Amino acid sequence: MNKIMTASKIYKEDLNFIYFAPTKIIFGAGSIKEVPLEMENNGKRKAIVITDPYLYKNHGGVKRLVESLKDKYGGIFFDVPPESSLETVNKAYKFASALLDIDTIVSIGGGSVIDTGKALSILLKEGGSIEDHLGFQRLSRPQTFHIAIPTTAGTGSEVTKYAVLKDSMLKRKVIIGENYIIPNVAILDPELTLTLPKELTASTAIDALSHCIEALHSLQKEPIADALAYYGIELIWKNLYEVLRVPDSLLPRGNLQIAATLGGIAFDNAQVGLVHGIAHVIGARYNIPHGIANGVILPYVILFNSLEPSCGEVYKEIAVRLRLSNSQESYKKVSKKLAIALKEFIKGANLPTTLHELQIPKDHLDEISEEVLYDPSIVYNGRYAMERELVLEILKQAWGGG
Amino acid sequence: MGYKFPSQEWVLEYQKAINSNKDYEKSARNWIYGVIVLVIEKDPSIGLNNDTYLWLDLDQGKCHEAKFVTKEEAEKAPFIIEGSYQRWKQVIRKELEPIKGILQGKLKLKKGNLPVIVRFVEAARQLVYSSTMIDTEFLDE
Repeated sequence: MNKIMTASKIYKEDLNFIYFAPTKIIFGAGSIKEVPLEMENNGKRKAIVITDPYLYKNHGGVKRLVESLKDKYGGIFFDVPPESSLETVNKAYKFASALLDIDTIVSIGGGSVIDTGKALSILLKEGGSIEDHLGFQRLSRPQTFHIAIPTTAGTGSEVTKYAVLKDSMLKRKVIIGENYIIPNVAILDPELTLTLPKELTASTAIDALSHCIEALHSLQKEPIADALAYYGIELIWKNLYEVLRVPDSLLPRGNLQIAATLGGIAFDNAQVGLVHGIAHVIGARYNIPHGIANGVILPYVILFNSLEPSCGEVYKEIAVRLRLSNSQESYKKVSKKLAIALKEFIKGANLPTTLHELQIPKDHLDEISEEVLYDPSIVYNGRYAMERELVLEILKQAWGGG
Repeated sequence: MGYKFPSQEWVLEYQKAINSNKDYEKSARNWIYGVIVLVIEKDPSIGLNNDTYLWLDLDQGKCHEAKFVTKEEAEKAPFIIEGSYQRWKQVIRKELEPIKGILQGKLKLKKGNLPVIVRFVEAARQLVYSSTMIDTEFLDE
């Protein structure tokens, strides 16, 4: 009864939405071997593999993938940096253009690699440079066939329409958002994440957690995305510490991968909010990994948003599901409990919890708050935050950890 | 008897409505980025046989001019937002917020810098509210 009452406070009578999730998802240990079969089933003949230098040299999965492609292998671009950029994509396109008959992109790596694959899928179809294709929903036809294979469990990029790239000149992240670049196939092979270092495991999991929570407090929230997001949160809550304790345990690794994909589908439909708006800015300005930036900001945005009843009810629902509270407490009280618990959870995973720890100068907060107002994510935040002073107050709290 | 959308009369009413909207004036006081053109895509089924280009000369919370222009003139504007008649109808009826419409692909930002538009989300909302002050007659009703 309580849940029904809670839900009735969360959704309004004029609820309307479009749920869109076109990616075929293949999950399982060893499922990387499905790549050639997927190409064959889709009438594809030649693939370019996209990855980063570290994985190229050190990750057995990349080698296995290349070997399994046999005559479908067209070449490999392994120059994707930890934060991909406009330049990287243009460089990848130049490389791919010199190869013959490429009709498939297989990206294997973290979000940066997969986003590079998405952007390349546009250039291989439309030509030009990636600067010509920035923006939202401007394409009018399907792009190059793309199989995404995540080796982290966080970004959810394997199922989303977004490619986040750095504009190195402007020191700013730019976003491409196109339904036509959602990867056609996502292969979730938990074996590929077994060697992921602890810090990266934790920060990417917190990224996924942020996706789930942001989807839930978004103005565009809807029940299907919500269902995915709530389950994603539970999976991360129950499995992250287990993975950190026993890094090569397949089952919790797989659960984190599933959670990341659930978070990806959830936010791709419901969008993200102020946590990402701030994280995009500080990530680009100070080279801070996205998951770490999200983790620092998340508890403070929850506290800020919780004054909006529709957000507060969501936080209460999360807290009840995580058994942090019973359903009798007020959402304001429970939201605070949730924010504190999340901060402890992030700290327990050995990640920073303040902007001060990230060495962001306090006198930069003013400039950051202004820049955040230009990030599209902020439009969807569950509580109105389009004023510099509001963002600045959150930043100040996140700086000192108050 | 209302004003047909789109028509010259409607456009003049719209300019008046924008300029009498204090909330728009306040939220757009820092808008110095110039003209926005709204493109209403042709829809012969309702008698709209050509694309229509609505030029809004906006500056620091005021609309200095609202008029129809040719495609060539429209292309000189720094911001161009395009959508079908049905989408603009949703916007005027407050069923679709323009910036969310752009982010969802229901409207297309054909020209212009999205972050700048995003920064003025409240002004965009107030532009829409201004249009709801007009007694509008739609071509398909």
